[in-house]
Amino acid sequence: MIEFKNVMLSYGDHVVLDRVCFRCAFHEKIAVLGGSGGGKTTILKLMLGLVKPDSGQILVDDQDITVMSESELRDVRMKFSIVFQEGALFDSMNVKENVAFSLREFTKSTEEEIDKRVRDLLKILKIEDAIDLMPEELSGGMQRRVAIARSLAACEPRMMLYDEATTGLDPLTADNICNLVNELSRGEPPGRVGFIIVTHKVTDAAKVAERYIFIRNGNIIFDGNIEELKKTKDTLLRKFINELYISHGSA
Amino acid sequence: MNLAKSKEALTKLQDYYVLAIKAPFGIFRKPFYLRETIEQMDYGGSGSFFIVFLVSLFIGMALSLQTSAELAEMGLKMYTGRVVGLSIIKEIGPVAIALSYAGRVGSGMASELGSMTLGHQVDILRVHGVSPIKKLVSPRVISSIIMLPVLTVVGDAVALLGGYFVSISVAHQSGSVYWSQIKQIMEFVTIFSGVIKPFIFGYLISTISCYMGLSTKGGARGLRKSTTEAVVYSTIMIIISDFMVTKILIMIFGIPV
Repeated sequence: MIEFKNVMLSYGDHVVLDRVCFRCAFHEKIAVLGGSGGGKTTILKLMLGLVKPDSGQILVDDQDITVMSESELRDVRMKFSIVFQEGALFDSMNVKENVAFSLREFTKSTEEEIDKRVRDLLKILKIEDAIDLMPEELSGGMQRRVAIARSLAACEPRMMLYDEATTGLDPLTADNICNLVNELSRGEPPGRVGFIIVTHKVTDAAKVAERYIFIRNGNIIFDGNIEELKKTKDTLLRKFINELYISHGSA
Repeated sequence: MNLAKSKEALTKLQDYYVLAIKAPFGIFRKPFYLRETIEQMDYGGSGSFFIVFLVSLFIGMALSLQTSAELAEMGLKMYTGRVVGLSIIKEIGPVAIALSYAGRVGSGMASELGSMTLGHQVDILRVHGVSPIKKLVSPRVISSIIMLPVLTVVGDAVALLGGYFVSISVAHQSGSVYWSQIKQIMEFVTIFSGVIKPFIFGYLISTISCYMGLSTKGGARGLRKSTTEAVVYSTIMIIISDFMVTKILIMIFGIPV
């Protein structure tokens, strides 16, 4: 279980999150929606302990991670995998080295074992031909697939965190990424791996998520399923979900 | 300055101290990141050789030209080698080469780490349990405290050679007199003074530049700011620490060194 209790964070005078409270289970499929600069990505960073809140608690399996040191956070972070916008691949390494990164850092695998694991992952993600390419030679969609492969290489996360995973991609590639998110969430046993996808594209969120959290001005203004979202009277939320109606061809 | 800004400045200073203390000790704990350290030594050392060569050669030539002209007026032209040698080895060589290093390598460190910070690559390291200080900063600090003294010794030699060429060709001085004057000043205190400074400058340039890079915020403008600040703060610290080290050496050895 992950729980945010009255989490506040500000950068200078700008309040990013204002007494945010929510809880979710590791197996849930959640979309965090909101406008640009609304604090969506910050929620993911807080969850991993990459950013400390000004006040409030963040509990992961009943442990308050806001008071943990970097070494203590390592075990917490192993429960998650994160895929940042644009992939955040190491640009001095090729695809194979990027995916093998954590295997080389933390396992005593031989080169043959690493090579096999990397090729298996790239095959699952349908980018095995890109193994020797450098990040700048990859398309946006491929970069994100490599980032997903890297995030899965050395650990079996209980929850995947996707930061704007479909932003900047053409509809077809974005659709492929959504399918991939769904496939990975099925896992073994089915439904074991949950995810939080941060996005401002409601259409993409609707393809993968079961629960929707909407953030505005640092506050959660909506938390519910798609049916509840469609019934909302909030003007801003209506503008967001109109995109959903347009994409489905109905008003 | 209001309270919030004072608190922010103190926090930044504290973060810098943590990085500056942790970074050099990174080499004593596994994993060692030897490949990264060698890459940084190649970039900072071999890659800086040409600029150091050029800067040192012309500084040595200019100093010799200026000094021989002034000394000739007092009838002391034969001391050109002594004045050029002392100036280059103790002061101008270490400082000029450190400034060149800050401009070329320090700015590169800040922009590279800044770009990695903005691109979330540093976050990825932390998520994977890898310390950014150990993986990114330690190799750069170790590389700088090894390579800057090496570059300084090479640069000093080139500068003395440049001074020699000017003293024999322009000032029409005997080459053997020039080298014999330099030989006279080659004492432990002189060499120690010239070699200890680059260690300190290398440590300061690399820790300041890496800190600026890792604390980059705010896109391209933030990257410009952190790169500029890395060079500006490094330059200021080189000049200040040069004075302080000189003062400490005078206190230790009891003579102007």
